[in-house]
Amino acid sequence: MGEKPIWEQIGSSFVQHYYQLFDTDRTQLGAIYIDASCLTWEGQQFQGKVAIVEKLSTLPFLKIAHSITAQDHQPTPDSCIMSMVVGQLKADEDPIMGFHQSFILKNINDAWVCTNDMFRLALHNFG
Amino acid sequence: MASKPVWEQIGAGFVQHYYQQFDSDRTKLADLYTDASCLTWEGVGFQGHKAIMEKITSLPFQSIQHSITAQDHQPTPDSCVMSMVMGQLKADTDQVMGFQQTFLLKNVDNKWICTNDMFRLALHNFGA
Repeated sequence: MGEKPIWEQIGSSFVQHYYQLFDTDRTQLGAIYIDASCLTWEGQQFQGKVAIVEKLSTLPFLKIAHSITAQDHQPTPDSCIMSMVVGQLKADEDPIMGFHQSFILKNINDAWVCTNDMFRLALHNFG
Repeated sequence: MASKPVWEQIGAGFVQHYYQQFDSDRTKLADLYTDASCLTWEGVGFQGHKAIMEKITSLPFQSIQHSITAQDHQPTPDSCVMSMVMGQLKADTDQVMGFQQTFLLKNVDNKWICTNDMFRLALHNFGA
Protein backbone atom coordinates (compact mmCIF):
# COMPACT_ATOMS: atom_id res chain seq x y z
CA MET A 1 0.00 0.00 0.00
CA GLY A 2 1.44 3.36 -1.01
CA GLU A 3 1.46 6.13 1.55
CA LYS A 4 -0.47 9.29 0.85
CA PRO A 5 1.50 12.05 -0.87
CA ILE A 6 2.93 14.54 1.61
CA TRP A 7 0.67 17.38 0.48
CA GLU A 8 -2.34 15.21 1.22
CA GLN A 9 -1.05 14.41 4.69
CA ILE A 10 -0.43 18.08 5.43
CA GLY A 11 -3.70 19.21 3.88
CA SER A 12 -5.90 16.69 5.63
CA SER A 13 -4.14 17.24 8.90
CA PHE A 14 -4.72 20.99 8.61
CA VAL A 15 -8.37 20.47 7.71
CA GLN A 16 -8.93 18.22 10.69
CA HIS A 17 -7.21 20.67 13.03
CA TYR A 18 -9.04 23.69 11.58
CA TYR A 19 -12.55 22.32 12.04
CA GLN A 20 -11.75 20.82 15.42
CA LEU A 21 -10.57 24.23 16.60
CA PHE A 22 -13.47 26.00 14.92
CA ASP A 23 -15.99 23.76 16.62
CA THR A 24 -14.47 23.86 20.10
CA ASP A 25 -13.09 27.39 20.39
CA ARG A 26 -12.80 29.46 17.26
CA THR A 27 -11.07 32.33 19.01
CA GLN A 28 -8.01 30.03 18.95
CA LEU A 29 -7.88 30.07 15.15
CA GLY A 30 -5.60 33.11 15.29
CA ALA A 31 -2.59 30.82 15.36
CA ILE A 32 -3.19 29.58 11.85
CA TYR A 33 -3.42 32.97 10.16
CA ILE A 34 -0.77 35.64 9.58
CA ASP A 35 -0.90 39.32 8.72
CA ALA A 36 -0.81 38.51 5.05
CA SER A 37 -3.79 36.16 5.26
CA CYS A 38 -7.04 36.83 3.37
CA LEU A 39 -10.45 35.47 4.27
CA THR A 40 -13.54 35.72 2.09
CA TRP A 41 -16.58 34.80 4.16
CA GLU A 42 -19.83 34.58 2.19
CA GLY A 43 -18.45 37.10 -0.29
CA GLN A 44 -17.04 39.55 2.27
CA GLN A 45 -13.30 40.13 2.42
CA PHE A 46 -11.17 40.30 5.54
CA GLN A 47 -7.47 41.03 5.49
CA GLY A 48 -4.96 40.03 8.13
CA LYS A 49 -5.03 37.89 11.27
CA VAL A 50 -6.78 40.45 13.51
CA ALA A 51 -9.67 41.19 11.15
CA ILE A 52 -10.08 37.50 10.35
CA VAL A 53 -10.21 36.35 13.96
CA GLU A 54 -12.60 39.18 14.77
CA LYS A 55 -14.95 38.02 12.02
CA LEU A 56 -14.78 34.38 13.04
CA SER A 57 -15.18 35.13 16.75
CA THR A 58 -18.22 37.32 16.17
CA LEU A 59 -20.13 34.89 13.96
CA PRO A 60 -23.63 34.79 15.43
CA PHE A 61 -23.82 31.30 16.89
CA LEU A 62 -22.77 29.69 20.12
CA LYS A 63 -22.35 26.09 19.04
CA ILE A 64 -21.16 24.83 15.69
CA ALA A 65 -20.36 21.38 14.37
CA HIS A 66 -18.71 20.73 11.01
CA SER A 67 -18.72 17.42 9.25
CA ILE A 68 -16.44 16.87 6.25
CA THR A 69 -17.88 15.01 3.29
CA ALA A 70 -15.00 15.36 0.85
CA GLN A 71 -11.61 17.04 0.70
CA ASP A 72 -9.05 17.47 -2.06
CA HIS A 73 -5.44 18.57 -1.75
CA GLN A 74 -2.84 19.59 -4.31
CA PRO A 75 0.71 20.93 -4.24
CA THR A 76 1.13 24.35 -5.88
CA PRO A 77 4.13 25.46 -7.94
CA ASP A 78 5.27 27.77 -5.14
CA SER A 79 5.44 24.91 -2.63
CA CYS A 80 2.11 25.73 -1.05
CA ILE A 81 -0.85 23.43 -0.64
CA MET A 82 -4.34 24.08 -1.91
CA SER A 83 -7.25 22.32 -0.21
CA MET A 84 -10.94 22.21 -1.10
CA VAL A 85 -13.51 20.96 1.39
CA VAL A 86 -17.18 20.06 0.97
CA GLY A 87 -19.19 19.39 4.09
CA GLN A 88 -22.14 20.12 6.30
CA LEU A 89 -22.48 22.24 9.37
CA LYS A 90 -24.99 22.81 12.12
CA ALA A 91 -25.03 26.06 14.08
CA ASP A 92 -27.03 26.18 17.32
CA GLU A 93 -30.52 24.82 16.59
CA ASP A 94 -30.49 25.83 12.91
CA PRO A 95 -31.08 23.22 10.18
CA ILE A 96 -28.03 21.47 8.78
CA MET A 97 -26.48 23.32 5.86
CA GLY A 98 -23.95 22.39 3.25
CA PHE A 99 -20.79 24.45 2.86
CA HIS A 100 -17.75 24.84 0.60
CA GLN A 101 -14.37 26.06 1.78
CA SER A 102 -11.00 26.39 0.07
CA PHE A 103 -7.61 27.07 1.66
CA ILE A 104 -4.06 27.81 0.66
CA LEU A 105 -1.43 26.72 3.14
CA LYS A 106 2.13 28.00 3.23
CA ASN A 107 5.07 26.81 5.24
CA ILE A 108 6.57 29.66 7.21
CA ASN A 109 9.28 28.94 9.76
CA ASP A 110 8.38 25.29 9.82
CA ALA A 111 4.70 25.88 10.52
CA TRP A 112 1.90 25.54 8.02
CA VAL A 113 -0.22 28.69 8.06
CA CYS A 114 -3.31 29.58 6.16
CA THR A 115 -2.72 32.48 3.76
CA ASN A 116 -6.00 32.21 1.88
CA ASP A 117 -9.39 31.05 3.08
CA MET A 118 -12.73 31.20 1.23
CA PHE A 119 -16.01 30.04 2.74
CA ARG A 120 -19.52 29.85 1.28
CA LEU A 121 -22.69 28.08 2.30
CA ALA A 122 -23.86 25.63 -0.36
CA LEU A 123 -26.70 27.07 -2.39
CA HIS A 124 -27.54 24.28 -4.78
CA ASN A 125 -28.84 20.78 -4.54
CA PHE A 126 -27.08 17.81 -5.95
CA GLY A 127 -29.70 16.42 -8.26
CA MET B 1 -16.84 54.33 -7.95
CA ALA B 2 -13.62 52.40 -7.22
CA SER B 3 -12.76 49.78 -9.79
CA LYS B 4 -12.37 46.19 -8.69
CA PRO B 5 -8.99 45.09 -7.30
CA VAL B 6 -6.75 43.68 -10.01
CA TRP B 7 -6.90 40.12 -8.66
CA GLU B 8 -10.68 40.23 -8.92
CA GLN B 9 -10.46 41.42 -12.50
CA ILE B 10 -8.00 38.68 -13.38
CA GLY B 11 -9.96 36.01 -11.54
CA ALA B 12 -13.32 37.03 -12.95
CA GLY B 13 -11.83 37.33 -16.43
CA PHE B 14 -10.37 33.85 -16.19
CA VAL B 15 -13.57 32.31 -14.81
CA GLN B 16 -15.67 33.79 -17.58
CA HIS B 17 -13.21 32.62 -20.24
CA TYR B 18 -12.84 29.15 -18.72
CA TYR B 19 -16.55 28.31 -18.66
CA GLN B 20 -17.19 29.91 -22.00
CA GLN B 21 -14.49 27.67 -23.52
CA PHE B 22 -15.63 24.65 -21.54
CA ASP B 23 -19.17 25.06 -22.80
CA SER B 24 -18.37 25.81 -26.43
CA ASP B 25 -15.29 23.69 -27.16
CA ARG B 26 -13.42 22.23 -24.23
CA THR B 27 -10.45 21.17 -26.34
CA LYS B 28 -9.57 24.88 -26.36
CA LEU B 29 -8.91 24.76 -22.61
CA ALA B 30 -5.47 23.40 -23.52
CA ASP B 31 -4.03 26.92 -23.48
CA LEU B 32 -4.85 27.33 -19.82
CA TYR B 33 -2.81 24.44 -18.44
CA THR B 34 0.91 23.64 -18.42
CA ASP B 35 2.96 20.58 -17.57
CA ALA B 36 3.05 21.74 -13.96
CA SER B 37 -0.72 21.94 -13.66
CA CYS B 38 -2.77 19.65 -11.40
CA LEU B 39 -6.44 18.82 -11.79
CA THR B 40 -8.54 16.96 -9.25
CA TRP B 41 -11.83 15.97 -10.85
CA GLU B 42 -14.34 14.42 -8.47
CA GLY B 43 -11.54 13.25 -6.23
CA VAL B 44 -9.30 11.79 -8.96
CA GLY B 45 -5.97 13.53 -9.61
CA PHE B 46 -4.48 14.35 -13.03
CA GLN B 47 -1.00 15.75 -13.43
CA GLY B 48 0.22 17.79 -16.37
CA HIS B 49 -1.25 19.30 -19.48
CA LYS B 50 -1.66 16.06 -21.41
CA ALA B 51 -3.42 14.05 -18.72
CA ILE B 52 -5.64 16.99 -17.83
CA MET B 53 -6.75 17.63 -21.38
CA GLU B 54 -7.34 13.93 -21.92
CA LYS B 55 -9.64 13.86 -18.90
CA ILE B 56 -11.53 16.99 -19.85
CA THR B 57 -12.05 16.05 -23.48
CA SER B 58 -13.17 12.54 -22.64
CA LEU B 59 -15.87 13.57 -20.15
CA PRO B 60 -19.00 11.66 -21.15
CA PHE B 61 -21.28 14.38 -22.41
CA GLN B 62 -21.68 16.22 -25.66
CA SER B 63 -23.27 19.45 -24.59
CA ILE B 64 -22.62 21.22 -21.31
CA GLN B 65 -23.70 24.50 -19.84
CA HIS B 66 -22.34 26.16 -16.74
CA SER B 67 -23.99 28.96 -14.87
CA ILE B 68 -22.04 30.80 -12.16
CA THR B 69 -23.87 31.63 -8.94
CA ALA B 70 -20.98 32.99 -6.90
CA GLN B 71 -17.26 33.56 -7.31
CA ASP B 72 -14.58 34.75 -4.91
CA HIS B 73 -11.05 35.86 -5.74
CA GLN B 74 -8.00 36.56 -3.60
CA PRO B 75 -4.35 37.40 -4.17
CA THR B 76 -1.91 34.88 -2.76
CA PRO B 77 1.44 35.71 -1.13
CA ASP B 78 3.27 34.31 -4.17
CA SER B 79 1.51 36.70 -6.55
CA CYS B 80 -0.97 34.15 -7.75
CA VAL B 81 -4.75 34.49 -7.82
CA MET B 82 -7.05 32.02 -6.09
CA SER B 83 -10.63 31.72 -7.29
CA MET B 84 -13.53 29.73 -5.87
CA VAL B 85 -16.66 29.24 -7.94
CA MET B 86 -20.11 27.90 -7.07
CA GLY B 87 -22.62 27.28 -9.78
CA GLN B 88 -24.89 24.91 -11.64
CA LEU B 89 -24.36 22.86 -14.73
CA LYS B 90 -26.42 20.87 -17.16
CA ALA B 91 -24.86 18.13 -19.27
CA ASP B 92 -26.83 16.82 -22.28
CA THR B 93 -30.36 16.11 -21.07
CA ASP B 94 -29.34 15.33 -17.48
CA GLN B 95 -30.87 17.25 -14.62
CA VAL B 96 -29.27 20.47 -13.46
CA MET B 97 -26.60 19.89 -10.80
CA GLY B 98 -24.69 22.14 -8.48
CA PHE B 99 -20.89 22.25 -8.59
CA GLN B 100 -17.91 23.75 -6.82
CA GLN B 101 -14.55 24.54 -8.42
CA THR B 102 -11.39 26.15 -7.10
CA PHE B 103 -8.54 27.46 -9.26
CA LEU B 104 -5.06 28.78 -8.66
CA LEU B 105 -3.81 31.09 -11.41
CA LYS B 106 -0.21 32.05 -12.03
CA ASN B 107 1.25 34.59 -14.38
CA VAL B 108 3.76 32.85 -16.62
CA ASP B 109 5.33 34.83 -19.48
CA ASN B 110 2.65 37.48 -19.23
CA LYS B 111 -0.17 35.01 -19.44
CA TRP B 112 -2.41 33.82 -16.64
CA ILE B 113 -2.46 30.06 -16.59
CA CYS B 114 -4.14 27.59 -14.29
CA THR B 115 -1.70 25.64 -12.14
CA ASN B 116 -4.30 24.06 -9.85
CA ASP B 117 -7.88 23.10 -10.55
CA MET B 118 -10.30 21.19 -8.31
CA PHE B 119 -13.84 20.28 -9.34
CA ARG B 120 -16.63 18.56 -7.45
CA LEU B 121 -20.33 18.23 -7.98
CA ALA B 122 -22.29 19.73 -5.11
CA LEU B 123 -23.28 17.07 -2.63
CA HIS B 124 -25.40 18.93 -0.12
CA ASN B 125 -28.55 20.94 -0.10
CA PHE B 126 -28.75 24.35 1.40
CA GLY B 127 -30.99 23.91 4.39
CA ALA B 128 -32.19 20.41 3.54
